[in-house]
Amino acid sequence: MSPIPPGAQLKGAAAAAAGQAAGALAAATAGAAAVGAAAAKVAATTQATAKPVVPLAFPPPELKARCEDLLTRYPVKVAALLPILHLAQKHYAGWISPAVEAGVAAYLGVSDAHVRGVLTFYAMFHTQPVGRHDVWVCRTLTCWLRGAEGLTQAALAKAGIDKVGGTDAQGRFSVREMECLGLCEVAPAAWIDGQVHGHVTPDGLARLMDGCA
Amino acid sequence: MTTPARAPAAGRTPETKVLSANFGVPGSWTLPVVRPRGAYQALEKALKTLTPAQVTAEVKTSRLRGRGGAGFPAGVKWGFVPTSSPKTKYVVCNADESEPGTFKDRYLMELDPHLVLEGCLLAAYAVGASVIYIYVRGEYPLSIARLEGAMAEARAAGLLGAKILGSSFSCEAWVHPGAGAYICGEETGMLESLEGKRGHPRIKPPFPAVEGAFASPTLINNVETLAHVPWIVIHGGAAFAKQGIPPDPANPRAVGSSGTKLMGVSGPVRTPGVWEFEFGITLRELVYGYGGGPLPGRTLKAVIPGGLSMPVLTDAELDVKMGFDELAKVGSGLGTACAIVMDDTCDMVKACINIAHFFADESCGQCTPCREGCHWMEKIFKRIDAGQGTPADLDLLASLFGNIEGRTICALADAAVWPLRSILKKFRPEFEARLARPVAVVGAL
Repeated sequence: MSPIPPGAQLKGAAAAAAGQAAGALAAATAGAAAVGAAAAKVAATTQATAKPVVPLAFPPPELKARCEDLLTRYPVKVAALLPILHLAQKHYAGWISPAVEAGVAAYLGVSDAHVRGVLTFYAMFHTQPVGRHDVWVCRTLTCWLRGAEGLTQAALAKAGIDKVGGTDAQGRFSVREMECLGLCEVAPAAWIDGQVHGHVTPDGLARLMDGCA
Repeated sequence: MTTPARAPAAGRTPETKVLSANFGVPGSWTLPVVRPRGAYQALEKALKTLTPAQVTAEVKTSRLRGRGGAGFPAGVKWGFVPTSSPKTKYVVCNADESEPGTFKDRYLMELDPHLVLEGCLLAAYAVGASVIYIYVRGEYPLSIARLEGAMAEARAAGLLGAKILGSSFSCEAWVHPGAGAYICGEETGMLESLEGKRGHPRIKPPFPAVEGAFASPTLINNVETLAHVPWIVIHGGAAFAKQGIPPDPANPRAVGSSGTKLMGVSGPVRTPGVWEFEFGITLRELVYGYGGGPLPGRTLKAVIPGGLSMPVLTDAELDVKMGFDELAKVGSGLGTACAIVMDDTCDMVKACINIAHFFADESCGQCTPCREGCHWMEKIFKRIDAGQGTPADLDLLASLFGNIEGRTICALADAAVWPLRSILKKFRPEFEARLARPVAVVGAL
């Protein structure tokens, strides 16, 4: 069997196969025209939207030394995935795009799907663009008992976002509710760009957000 | 954020500062401050005068039990690591402290990272490991920085790396950052995460001691467990075993709770915090004496004695001693010994929504009872809260509890069931009062 062709060709081949299957189906079944048309539409959509991801050259020069150092710490390369994703996310404006994902995958010798699986498992990684400032409100029991819901509302109002997990139109803030941040003795707690704050009041959180450029 | 230093009032159980001896000392996270205060003396003693087997024997004698929540005897666990294996062995320090209400390990890592590192090195020496990973949750950036700082200092001082303190023992240590997943505090979920994967717990056996990180023998202990080891090596396991609650000779299963424990209180109390006591202080004294009791004008309604994952106790049940066997006997558990207090303003139906949401959010999704069940429980509690629940919903919850608990790979699902079931049992009238009024069927008879 010939080696698997690179992404674009594979997707083309897959679409062609889908078309073929739809063709066979059309010939064999009654009322097949509609089925065939639907399958053809799926195939066309697949071809039109699934642009091949061009992996970004990873690591960039700024991260090269740190990534290489991380690889020396583990017996297998893929074990460095979490620390490398932390570095990459910080470097690339707070999120991991498909191109960065593919670059990291190629660097560590794993599939893009493996990296995507990891990215979507952990709450601290983002696969969509985020605001310049990360505002987290701890929502778990202790903070909830001490008024976390008011903090979430204050953060959303200040940022001008209507939903938890959203980002404002100017790309300034992303507001999220997080599970226990381990700051229970100073509850309710919030986190802004890696800086933790305890005994936060709704007004206090709004003021902290005012200080973010 | 240091421990509030307060002199014990008359008749009050005093703190016993073993792990927290350096808390509050300026710069306690740096080697020049802690070395003159005794840091790495235990490591030096072990490397110069004790064999690895002798170190393990002291830990066994100490009856030290795991401080992450399960309370497994640490020395026994160390004994499971096959010393004859030719593979590289690992020590993984569980610093994923994601249990809600729990912040004790953060204090250790931020305020005495060298103590944690020394404990890891002693464990590595005892089981023949050459690499230590400290798996720290990503939400603890200061802990990560302090531990990495401590490692750099230790390396420069010959306390970490090749031929430590001139001995034949070589060992490296690294921080591995998590990225926001409660399940990675489960030891095999943690190993998967360490290997660069989604944190899906593994089916046991094989146990990590035999086949853990990178399919090699791996010792996994909680931060606080390992931080106890330097004291045990200096003073001997027997001295440690004298502290706390002794085993019950009449009950072979009650193996006692030896030593000291970091205990915390959080929630609506006057003085939340973390303190160190010998096992045996009552939960009441912890919550009222040290936690300061409920806020002015409020009364205490319920307490989860350790983290989120244990059954609740009511005010009438707080005279229980803080100990593994003692809390189990009253139908709860010591857990992480960081209590969450709920007061009379707490709506128990809404609290259950909050708790169920946590577990639904954090379920890794491998096992159907947990993946589906936690969301389902949350939906039912929301329905009850909205006044749309029926008596059948309470039966459905009871059935769900039974079909979730004990039917999954790891204990996350059990941890979801325990607090919810106990709240429903002890505060049932609150739930019943919220159910939809039965609609009278009126028809032509």
